[in-house]
Amino acid sequence: MNIRWYHLALWTAFIVGMFFLPQLVSKGTLRTIIFANYLAIFAISWDVLSGRTGYVSFGHPFLIGLGAYTTAILTKRFDVPVEISIPAAVLVTMVGGSLLFLPALRVRGSYFALVTLAFMELMYQLVQVIRPDLTGGTRGMSGIQTLTRGAVNGYYLSFGLIASLGFGMWLLMKTRLGTALSAIGMNEEAVRGSGLNTTKLKLAAFMLSAFVAGLGGAFYVHYLGSIAPRALFDINFVFTIIVAAILGGASTIIGPIFGAFFLTFLLEYLRPYLPGAERYFIYGGIALVLYMFEPKGLHHVLQMALSAIKGKSRS
Amino acid sequence: MSFLEFDNLSAFYGKAQALRDISFSVEQGEIVAIIGANGAGKSTLLDSIMGLTKTTGDIRLEGKSLAGLSTADIVKSGVGYAPERFNLFPFMSVRDNLMVGAFTARDDIEQNLEAIHRLFPRLEERENQETSTQSGGERQMVSLGRALMTSPRVLLVDEPTIGLAPKLCDEIAEVLARMNRELKMTIVITEQNANFAMKLASRLYVLESGEMRISGTVDELRDDPRLMEAYFGH
Repeated sequence: MNIRWYHLALWTAFIVGMFFLPQLVSKGTLRTIIFANYLAIFAISWDVLSGRTGYVSFGHPFLIGLGAYTTAILTKRFDVPVEISIPAAVLVTMVGGSLLFLPALRVRGSYFALVTLAFMELMYQLVQVIRPDLTGGTRGMSGIQTLTRGAVNGYYLSFGLIASLGFGMWLLMKTRLGTALSAIGMNEEAVRGSGLNTTKLKLAAFMLSAFVAGLGGAFYVHYLGSIAPRALFDINFVFTIIVAAILGGASTIIGPIFGAFFLTFLLEYLRPYLPGAERYFIYGGIALVLYMFEPKGLHHVLQMALSAIKGKSRS
Repeated sequence: MSFLEFDNLSAFYGKAQALRDISFSVEQGEIVAIIGANGAGKSTLLDSIMGLTKTTGDIRLEGKSLAGLSTADIVKSGVGYAPERFNLFPFMSVRDNLMVGAFTARDDIEQNLEAIHRLFPRLEERENQETSTQSGGERQMVSLGRALMTSPRVLLVDEPTIGLAPKLCDEIAEVLARMNRELKMTIVITEQNANFAMKLASRLYVLESGEMRISGTVDELRDDPRLMEAYFGH
């Protein structure tokens, strides 16, 4: 796709619109958007690894949790300033990413997915057993330093994060690296046969994914001010991330962002009608139908609709 | 010293031996065909050159051993590989498929693309088309093109005619012959279709159950009863 002037114009309008958004909507809506922004970051992190290379991670909360716990423990227990604790959290998450990478050297497909699930469960058990005085054990931690006060500032911070991460990833995925990672997802053997070092490429994908997950996890915990292991290391959370990426359009950047917003608002608007876990049936159903009929996701549906409109206006 | 030499090459899948003590050579600038039935070990032989199987024995390109090198290093030392046509990246454009081949190249990308577009004008016309929507013949061209993007000195092509209509087989044969003539490319193909192999290659090797049974120039083998019986009987 070539970049045209109207792409730039649209994006500029979008960013200006997002800038003035807090004046237009309620605090409650802003908080929903903030959650969507963080979900979008997690979905991008999942997608750069699993959406592209086909190494499906069911254990992404393992990475997110490493980032969140590292900075939470450092700031709360050791009074480390966030300027140091957040980079440290990202580093620790990347080390965790290389642990997650080890099984990918030997297994793929559903076996790899199961191994990652085990990583998440292991992490859940470990934070409860090992040094609960540091991790807060089952109850988690609260009173963690927050970076911003109020919904408006939290919104600007989260929007700045997703905008810069999204743009950075988009640029990176435009390069041959992005093409090669997607190629691995389609046919790893053929990528090897073309003389590419798939081990290095996969490691790059894991590191990128861990970088984004660590950053997202760390900022998210400093937004919430608390950490609850039951909610974090939860299979529902995993599915929300995966469905956001796939629903929006895997192997793209805008897709996971789009999916995260769609899901978050869908769940939010369904809340008055279906207060319980039934809501998850609805999104599961939508994800299933979409995945059967348009595996490229909502983003692709919109694109086709757009080009259909453009085609008509031209003729 | 030959251009490409195989010295007692054996290949294994776990404990099963797929190739047994294969020795042969390929001279610079020639087209050699390995023919054999399904399961004879043709693809295994090419995979072994690429370092994709477990092997013993030696393979040398211009005297330099390829044994123990990673696939990436084997490609860098000048071996290009076009696996069967199903080994493309289906949901990528023609151009992106080619660019995967160019991942390791730094300087020759434009030059290689030009050469590929001269050989296959259709790939330039359809460079934004997804390969999943292309015909078998076009996919074979993309596969050959992707192998050429790695700037090879010897090109390995696995069953270029598999599943193709006779007319397309002729087209592929023509293109391979032009690569050989115009780019001075050394080419090793595997084939079940002995007729196709004879039209194209100067020398034939026949694989049966992982062993090299018959070898010779096309002229020597044209009337060989063993070959006639095995590959023209049906």
